[in-house]
This record gives sequence, C-alpha cells and structure tokens, in this order.
Amino acid sequence: MSEHDSGSSGASQSIPVQAGALKKGSHVVIKGFPCKIVEYSTSKTGKHGHAKANIVGVDIFTGRKYEDISPSSHNMMSPIVNRKDFQLIDIDEEGFVTLMDDKHETRSDLRIFPETEDIHAKCKEEFDDDKSLLVTVLSAMGTEKIIAYKELQ
Amino acid sequence: MTTAEQIISQLLDRNSPVAARMRSIFSLKGLATPQAVQALEKSLVTDPSALVRHEVAYVLGQMRAIQSLPTLTKVLENAAEDVMVRHEAAEAMGAIAHNSVLPLLDRYAADASLAREIRETCVLAVNRIRWYQHQTTPAQAPYTSVDPAPPEQGKDVSQLQDLLCDASKPIFERYKAMFALRNIGGEQAVLALCAGMDAEKESALFRHEVAYVLGQMQHSASVPTLARFLKDQQEHEMVRHEAAEALGSIASPQAEKILDQFRADEKDVVRESVEVALDISDYISGDHLHYAQKINGASNTTSLQATR
Repeated sequence: MSEHDSGSSGASQSIPVQAGALKKGSHVVIKGFPCKIVEYSTSKTGKHGHAKANIVGVDIFTGRKYEDISPSSHNMMSPIVNRKDFQLIDIDEEGFVTLMDDKHETRSDLRIFPETEDIHAKCKEEFDDDKSLLVTVLSAMGTEKIIAYKELQ
Repeated sequence: MTTAEQIISQLLDRNSPVAARMRSIFSLKGLATPQAVQALEKSLVTDPSALVRHEVAYVLGQMRAIQSLPTLTKVLENAAEDVMVRHEAAEAMGAIAHNSVLPLLDRYAADASLAREIRETCVLAVNRIRWYQHQTTPAQAPYTSVDPAPPEQGKDVSQLQDLLCDASKPIFERYKAMFALRNIGGEQAVLALCAGMDAEKESALFRHEVAYVLGQMQHSASVPTLARFLKDQQEHEMVRHEAAEALGSIASPQAEKILDQFRADEKDVVRESVEVALDISDYISGDHLHYAQKINGASNTTSLQATR
C-alpha cells in the first residue's frame, strides 16, 4: 500500500463483531484490509441452525475487492473508521499537503497522488485555480488518505 | 447449481451416503416448496435408515409443514416404527402446533404402554401447543430453531441450573430452563447444561435434548461431557447419536478425534450419526459456504457464488 501514508498505530484499530451481525455497508477487515461490505449473503442452515456468511468487501482506500466466508457465530474484526475535514492550505512540489483543522491546527504529513488518483488530480487542479478547498481525510487501521474534497463557500 | 429433482433423487436413493441424504434434507428445507415437502414425506415413510427418517420428521416440524400432519400422525401411531422416529414425529407435531392433534397427543402422553421417550415428547408437545396458543410476544432468540419449549424468563444461570436438575419439576419447566441457558450462552451456561445432562438418570429424552442444545452452542467446554456420553455403550442410542452430532458441530480437532473412534460403532444410528457428524465438522471447519445445496429457484438464495 505504497500510496498510503501511515498514521500512528493505535492499540484498538478494530473491534470484534460476529460475522452474522454484519450487513451490506458495514466495515470489516478482510485479509488484513479495512473494507466496506458490498455483498453479504448467508448460507442455508443445517441441523443445529448454523449458517455461514459470504462477505465481499471493497478496500476503503484502494477499492480492491476481497472476499471471505465465515461461520455466522465467529468473530470478525470491524475497523474503526474516521473521517475528518481539513482546509487545504498548500500543496508542495512532491505532493505533500498542508492541512488545517477547525481548531486551526495544521499538519503536513499527508500526500496526494495526482498521477494515479483522479480525485487528487482534480483537487490539485482546482487548488491551482486558487479555489478554497475543504478535503476529507479517511483513517482506518493506521492508514490515512484524502478521499474527497469540496469547495469552501 | 442443482435442480430440485436432483436433490430429491439424491434423498430417495438408498445408495447415496447417509451424510449426502442428510444434506439433501436440509436443501429441501431451504427450498420449502410443496414438491420438497412431498419428497420429504416420502423419505419419512420409505428410507431404510431410522436416522434419516427421524431427521426428516424433525425438518418437517422445523418447516411447520402443516400439510404433513397426517403423515406425521401415522408415523407416531405406527408401533412398528423406531422410537426415535416416533418421538421426532410427535415433536414435529408440537412444533407445527395445530389444535387438531391435541387429543391424540394427550392420549399418548398418558399411555403407560408407550416408550418413555414417546410419552415425554407428547407431554412436551401438548404443553408447547397450549403455550403457543396463548403466546403474545414473538420469541426473540439468538437461535432460529423451533424449540420444544420457550426459554424461562428472569432467572440467572445458577437458578436455571437448579431448575434444570430438579427431577421433581415438570419436564416442560426443565426444558424452559434448558433453552434459557442456551440463549444466555458462555462457559458457565454450558457447564450448567453439562451438569444437567449428567444429573438426569431417568429420561434419555432429556439427556438427548441437552446434547442437541450443546451442539447449537458449539462450545469446547462441553466436549468432555459429550465424549463421555458417546463412549457409553449402555447409553440410549438416541443420546449417543445426539452427542456425536453435537461434537461434529463443535468441529474442533479434539471432537473429530473422538468421533473417529466410533466410525464403526455396532449401533446403526450411532455409526451413521458419526458419519454425519464428521461431514458437519468438515463443513464447519472448511471453506465451503453451503451445507445444504443451493437449488435453482429456491427462495432466499444467496446472490453470490462462493469463489473457493
């Protein structure tokens, strides 16, 4: 995941949740990646009523698809996902951005990748056109990424 | 993708393995069409294996297949039928919970000439039907099975264990404690159920039901108790059968190792149960999504095929 910037790694980046309690739209860790569930189905049950869940998720950072099958009664991990908005102050020549939150704290540890990420390319283009932009930073499991932006009114 | 006809011929083919016939039963339960119910009824009165016939009766009850009441009634009344199958037919009638069967069940509940397992099942079924008719709030349980008794309310694990083990209390009340303990879950509840299974010396039916519940709970703390009951050659085969399938459901390497020792048990029901249990264990610990086959046109089918 070279396109990601690593944030600080907290102790509880994910919490256990029963596979049977998940649903489409929930977040779950599949093969180590924080995913949003796009397909969820359960099997028919046998004698004791146990079902399995078939889960297809899309990595919330890369968009890659992952799939898992788990007994409904088993625990899977649900990543703690946060979104935070920042005002975009600057983009340097290497793509590092300076961001400011609503408490006027700034940070300069995140990058954008205009060559590979369309949304980053458009964001840079509008910023270069002198627009005031608000960017959304998504964080989960030690990874942070700018995933959206909008013009400040 | 499999068709309903393929599943039905697998169920009705005496040469297909017992474990495969078992899977067919649950595929047809999922299909839940009149054609599926008819095939199950045919299996109930023709399959050479008592284990298969009893499972079919169980599933018809779980499906609440009211159209099967005449067939289930005949099975219960058939003195030549295996006790385990007659018991399961009576339990299914309780699950379907239709008034019309009450006189027969009432009569059987008091008939001392019948096997104890059948009588007790009829007592439970009568109680369940009467309870069901006055039930106001829909049951909210972590398990989806239609149970022979509702869970007891408002008691803690140790109070429930006392009720479970109290042989002077009506069996329906003790079953309520059993299902409450199951719903509470966790190791303490599992151990309370194991204690109840050990303490009950008279009713094989009661011990078999505890084993079933332990299979639902899938807790490794019950493995030593279940293993002991499976190993006991003097134990009622219905209890040994249920202990075997519960071990299959727990699906731990230890449980599989115990099951392996009884592959050639001299009791048909136990031997076949071990085959089925090892198949369940394979399914639970394996990568396959479905135990029951997916059938073309079945309701609630998954929208996605497993990729592995």
